[in-house]
Amino acid sequence: MSAFRVSVWRGGADGAFQEFEVPRAASQTVLDVVTHIQRKLDATLAYRFACRVGMCGSCAMTVNGIARWTCRTRVDRVLKNDRLVLAPLRNLPVIRDLVADMREFFDKWARAKGEFRGGSTRNDAIARVRPNSPAREQVDAAIECIGCGVCYASCDVVAQLPAYLGPAALNRAWTLVRDSRDKAGLERLRAVAGDAGCHACHTQMGCTERCPKRLAPTAGIAGLKREVLKAALNGLL
Amino acid sequence: MTPRGETRLWILQRASAAVLALCVAVHLGTMIYAVRGGLSAAEILSRTKGNLAWLAFYSLFVLAVAVHVPIGLRSVLAEWLAWRGRSRDAVLAAFAMALALLGMRAVFGVFR
Repeated sequence: MSAFRVSVWRGGADGAFQEFEVPRAASQTVLDVVTHIQRKLDATLAYRFACRVGMCGSCAMTVNGIARWTCRTRVDRVLKNDRLVLAPLRNLPVIRDLVADMREFFDKWARAKGEFRGGSTRNDAIARVRPNSPAREQVDAAIECIGCGVCYASCDVVAQLPAYLGPAALNRAWTLVRDSRDKAGLERLRAVAGDAGCHACHTQMGCTERCPKRLAPTAGIAGLKREVLKAALNGLL
Repeated sequence: MTPRGETRLWILQRASAAVLALCVAVHLGTMIYAVRGGLSAAEILSRTKGNLAWLAFYSLFVLAVAVHVPIGLRSVLAEWLAWRGRSRDAVLAAFAMALALLGMRAVFGVFR
């Protein structure tokens, strides 16, 4: 069986790459490679995963320079010159090895008012939302985010402007802005407006290019700009 | 700055960009049309002096620049130099005034 070389980031921000040799296997994923290294070659390697099937969003890393979900990334597709370079996600502090600190990423969801705020009680009738209403279709297009952080790591605006809320938090805010049951609309628009929010987006579309769920945060951010504009023109903001 | 203030700047940036798109097209088109076989300073002045349409067009052009450029620089300064806050906005407000004054001086210089 043939083998290939893997460079893996070890340590914190001032760490370095360590070389491993890993055997090829059929249908091998990048997560399989990392697991092989930890189980067979170096048990001290730190990395994060849970579901292994593209649902939980915990295994994202930088693979040959590009942020990817490693459980659904085949080695065949990303191997360059029989070599893999694995590093933690960009734009986030490194805890150790391949584990990035996601706190800031999720704190920004909270800062973008990413929580649902309903207005009804258990005594009210169930809200009726027509699946084919335009607003619900916009929510459907954006709702399947698994919070993997690939978009955030791929965003050059985040790299240049650390205060920027980033594509995932803004995408989340967009799904709530278009949710007819949510009552925090104006407050959320205030939270996402401005030069650390939707107006900072340069529409480079790194997030949309890289999102493993093929969502388009750029479209959601553009939607937020429109909603903020409407609110401003109506004197509500 | 408040979300409302930030949003106003963004609207001004977009609106001034729309004005500039038109102004730049007219400006370049007129230049290419007017120059043809060469143009002297005297010829330029003969066309611009006392021409109110010319004055109105270039006044709009200059004001759109004075609005558009500082707002764009505001983002550049935040992203490249991590310079945000009141000191940046004060410097840019002064820069906007300077652009407007120098631009209008040039416009009036060839109008009178």
